[in-house]
Amino acid sequence: MHELSVAMEVCRMAEERLGPDGSGRLRLVGLQVGDDAGLEPENLSFCLDALLSQPPFGEARASVERCAGNVLRLDYLEVDDGNPDN
Amino acid sequence: MAIRTIDVRERVMARNDELAADVRRRLAEAGVPSFNLVSSPGAGKTSLLERTLDALGRELDIAIVTGDVQTQNDAERLARRTQKLVQAVVTGGACHLDARQVQESLAAIDLDATQLLFIENVGNLVCPASWDLGETAKIVIMSVTEGEDKPLKYPKMFREARYAVLNKVDLLPYVPFDVERAISMALEVNPDLRVFQTSALTGRGMSEWLDFLRAQARQPVVAR
Repeated sequence: MHELSVAMEVCRMAEERLGPDGSGRLRLVGLQVGDDAGLEPENLSFCLDALLSQPPFGEARASVERCAGNVLRLDYLEVDDGNPDN
Repeated sequence: MAIRTIDVRERVMARNDELAADVRRRLAEAGVPSFNLVSSPGAGKTSLLERTLDALGRELDIAIVTGDVQTQNDAERLARRTQKLVQAVVTGGACHLDARQVQESLAAIDLDATQLLFIENVGNLVCPASWDLGETAKIVIMSVTEGEDKPLKYPKMFREARYAVLNKVDLLPYVPFDVERAISMALEVNPDLRVFQTSALTGRGMSEWLDFLRAQARQPVVAR
């Protein structure tokens, strides 16, 4: 339950940064979760993946990195700019 | 396809904490102490507030914000005990209140005519521990019909709280609950915790709780 509320806040932060159009191009959400943050990383990943598969997101998923301390940080967002690689 | 990485490096609770700081500043400016009541469902938050309003409602100007996942039942119960505004927040599924909801609720409360603010959180001993609402202190309520080891099972909440209320003590003759053991476990998690023992039903132990609230209402409030 707690992981879901945190996942909802992470999605709000991502949407705030990217806007409704950009949110659809989000592919990866990178987080750092401390050992003492009171969260189960696998559970948080599960909740995030569920939310990130719904509008305004589409094909995004979460990458949760465990670290020391009580860190709970949205580290980075990976966005598909839709341009060819050339 | 071209993947671009955007560095964010932002604490997940940063926005909530900003709003909580604003709430705390406004309450401090108005000199209003505020208590965030947290517990598992059914521990007696609303009953304790009802009894408190009955006892102090004419002596102190008490405002209340109540949070529930669904229904405004608690707000309606409390509104029957006070002429002051009771602000109901229906979270619509969320398992805790956040600082934005409290900030919005303050807009409807005349803080200059308020001496004490209670925020009755959603019944849940997990999530509300992580969300700062801008309160003066969290008060965790547990009841004697629960296990004595709640403090050990939910240590973050008992660490975050400054006060604890052991409620429903009128039921002690009928339930196998060891008060000393429960308090010992609470103090093991948080040695600074001040513990009250109450029965919101019979009024037992309420005088110490009420004196505490009177004293809090008289003290200057300092923003952290």
